[in-house]
Amino acid sequence: MSGPPRLLRVLLCLYPAAHRRAYGQEMWAAVRHRFEAGRAEGPSRLRLTAWTAADLSWSAAKMWTRGWRGTMTGMTRGWGIDLRFVARTLRRTPGYALTAVVVLAGAVAVDAAVFSFVRGTLLARPHYPGADRIVVVWGSNPVDGQLRDVVSGPNYIDLRASMRSLEALSAFHSDNAILLVDGRPTVIDVESVSVDFFDIVPVQPYLGRVFEEGDRSSSAPQIVLVSWDYWQDVLGGDAGVIGRSLPLDGEPHTIVGVLPEGFEFVREVPLWRPLRDDVLAADERTRIHYHLFGRLRPGATPADATRDLTDGLAAIRERTGQFRGWAMLAEPLHEASVMAVRPVLVSVAAAVTLVLLIALVNLATLFRIRAMSRSDELAVRLALGGGRGRIARVLALEVGSLALMGAAVGLAVAPFLLARVREMVPLWIAIPDSAARVPVLRAVLDPQVALGSVLLAVVGAVALAAPSLVTASRRGGAAWAGRGGTHRGTRWLVIAELALATVLCVGAGLTTRSAERMLATDVGLEDEGLLTLYFGDVWERPIPGQVAYFEDVVRAVEGMPGVASAGLMDYVPFEGEDDFARIYFLDSDGEELSNLREQWRRVGEGAFETAGMRVLSGRLLEPDDFRGTPRSVVVNESFARKHYPEGRAVGELLSTHNAAYRDMRVVGVVADLHDLGPATPPPPMLYVPLQGDPRGTTGMFVRVASGQPLELAEAVREAIWSVDPSQPVDAFVPMTELVGAWVAIPRATRSLVSALAAFSLILAALGVFGVVAYAVRSRTAELGIRLALGASPRRIEREMMGTTAVLVGVGVALGLAAGALAGRAASALLFQVRPLDPISLAGAAIAMLAAALFATWLPARRAGRVDPREAIRAL
Amino acid sequence: MDLTRKTLSVEEHLPLKPAQQLALLLLAEGPTYGVALMEALEERSGGAIRLNAGSLYRLLASLVDDGLVEPTEEVANPSGAGAPRKLYGLTSFGREVLAAEARRQAGLLDMARALRLLEGS
Repeated sequence: MSGPPRLLRVLLCLYPAAHRRAYGQEMWAAVRHRFEAGRAEGPSRLRLTAWTAADLSWSAAKMWTRGWRGTMTGMTRGWGIDLRFVARTLRRTPGYALTAVVVLAGAVAVDAAVFSFVRGTLLARPHYPGADRIVVVWGSNPVDGQLRDVVSGPNYIDLRASMRSLEALSAFHSDNAILLVDGRPTVIDVESVSVDFFDIVPVQPYLGRVFEEGDRSSSAPQIVLVSWDYWQDVLGGDAGVIGRSLPLDGEPHTIVGVLPEGFEFVREVPLWRPLRDDVLAADERTRIHYHLFGRLRPGATPADATRDLTDGLAAIRERTGQFRGWAMLAEPLHEASVMAVRPVLVSVAAAVTLVLLIALVNLATLFRIRAMSRSDELAVRLALGGGRGRIARVLALEVGSLALMGAAVGLAVAPFLLARVREMVPLWIAIPDSAARVPVLRAVLDPQVALGSVLLAVVGAVALAAPSLVTASRRGGAAWAGRGGTHRGTRWLVIAELALATVLCVGAGLTTRSAERMLATDVGLEDEGLLTLYFGDVWERPIPGQVAYFEDVVRAVEGMPGVASAGLMDYVPFEGEDDFARIYFLDSDGEELSNLREQWRRVGEGAFETAGMRVLSGRLLEPDDFRGTPRSVVVNESFARKHYPEGRAVGELLSTHNAAYRDMRVVGVVADLHDLGPATPPPPMLYVPLQGDPRGTTGMFVRVASGQPLELAEAVREAIWSVDPSQPVDAFVPMTELVGAWVAIPRATRSLVSALAAFSLILAALGVFGVVAYAVRSRTAELGIRLALGASPRRIEREMMGTTAVLVGVGVALGLAAGALAGRAASALLFQVRPLDPISLAGAAIAMLAAALFATWLPARRAGRVDPREAIRAL
Repeated sequence: MDLTRKTLSVEEHLPLKPAQQLALLLLAEGPTYGVALMEALEERSGGAIRLNAGSLYRLLASLVDDGLVEPTEEVANPSGAGAPRKLYGLTSFGREVLAAEARRQAGLLDMARALRLLEGS
């Protein structure tokens, strides 16, 4: 048998270097011996090669693990001593320890609070079974600017018959009903849903049943489902409630089921009643009224459903000749729910990410300075034979303990911060069944949020400290001995921190200015001192009776002490209601020129004056316009601009699809009501006198003479009941609240981003302070000698300030450039503010410069007051 | 020497594994080099302890690290070619440990005798 294969020698490389150096040659000699001894007798060459290879590999592996075991044993020895040492060191440097804990705690608290909020809203999914397959279905007409519109009953029935990618499609209408409580009519919220609804949102009722196939027809008995809360609070949690009757809208409705505790969809309502198929089918096809929800078949996408339903609508169009330009749109329920809140959450999440980055850079600076300032101590320890591993362990232990303390304090503060965030971001823009309900403590201590935050703190801190620790433990004092390269890294960290904080300040400036512009937007009416409400439900009366009733109510309310005036408008502005009419534009001979669908409102006498709406040209409606057949109308500014671009709206003739409103003349143009929010262009609007065809229920404005509008609510209710005690009155809301709701999102963005910017400003100032303070401390001796030789303290101060001013200038300049780019990227979120808004940029620069220079001045002042005797003695 | 390794007492080394004990016994006869130890182990154990190069030097490395064995001197390769061979000998601590192991086993042997377990075998 010849010598061993050379491949076996390669296996020696698997051994730890120390073992290879000590025994490598001898091992190879032993291998050769084995192969030579095997020449005469023994195993075959192949078997011997395999055996030797296995032995060498196995032994190499054992050598490594033996080495690790030894290291681990060594590492775990003396933990207690090291921990006590770390505690003593941190007690001696409370400023450093406190700063690190505060920075970490701030980062963890902001991270945990904001991300738990974002997680509960933007990232949350409704927790119905198969919620990811639920879609919202809209009618969509991009040409008319109607991207998402509700659907009529007959169209729903036809679309349901033609659906292919949906398992079920349900009509849904948020409604209210009149319930007699103690003989008084009370308005109660009701969801009216087609029977298919519970196929889309499956629910196991707590008692009884939900709607079934047998409930589809109006010939079936009148039934109702009650919510768990209503059953508990109003019906006393009676187990025998099934079969009891509720007098709803004047008719007895049998309770057939109690929904489970906590169940809600879109909003929390006490009652649910079925929409009957035959009633839906018999409705007018143009009377669009219903939200549609569908459930996708497994594997189908919202795009499939959009295509199928649009095909279905095309068939309806072919049959009826209506709905030209319309298509259908299906989008995931979750997406539709967070659409309004997405911009605020995305910008806040971006701001939080920036704050975290700033905090991390701040920590890196802090740890670096700390390692630099301990270089002498480390050099002595190394010189005295201190093991590098042990020194690294002590330093890592110090950083780890600070990180854990920071994480603990941060998690303790986070629930309070989350509560504040929830106050800033109004609940109605959060998904109702998730974010707002979870107690703050549970939301923050959620394993994903809490563990994520703690890991962020500990891993982030240790990772950031690692380069400084490794350098310090390897080379001790030598690492930082040279002046040239010593501070370069630290300077760049400070510049990065200042730049990031400036970006955030620019963002805060832009969002603040944007929100201010929105808040300052003329909403088109006087919201102060204006009370709004709904009353009526007089559908069963003939139209003259309704008109007379509404006039009596206005008279009764205007006669009250404390009321300046009152007026009616069928839908109260800023409630988000839509009501469309087909409008026919006529020439002077009454011939139709064109027609288009636009929004319209029916108004009563004095409504414009009470609401404080301004007339821009022509006149408002006068008392005579409210008698007999309506002949005069008023349009808003957007309507006039869109349909009469030459500027002569007053005097033009128009008609509507409604026979009561034909051949009317435009008598005036009023200012737009920004009731879709200040950032959304107001829709063109036609105002017609109410007496032609009043809606059976109407909105009312009450202008109070003095005091808070809500204080008059009960008296107004009594005044309305003095006309007819059977009419329900509901929803007393001051107009300021309705208007405020529309600016809630920009207001929330401004508050959150500004708070985060303020925090980042403090962090950046701390970073600058740390660097300058270290520079002063490390140069104490030099400064002392210079002062002893006659240098003026003021000159020393100026010198320290000057060195830092360059860093601050570079950081702020870079931040302004990055802020301008970020502003450009986020320009869609801005309102009437340019991304390069000079005031925001200048404001951010001034705030940053002021904070950074103040942070420099504090330690620089100390530099000028160094006692030369003390400094020289310390040498 | 690795300072992080803890130095074990005589008792903490007990009981010795068969390969360790036989290797120490062989080295107690006088210093020897690796390949010779490998052959002697196989021969004196009747083929029961047959170590290859990897296992042999793992054993030797652990005995050296534990202070039971030490490299004593280097001798020229008998073939006249190749690197000189390193001789390994027992340290006084190694001798103590070996004696302690022998005493431990003697005690066990006495117990087995008292129980007459060895009779007839």
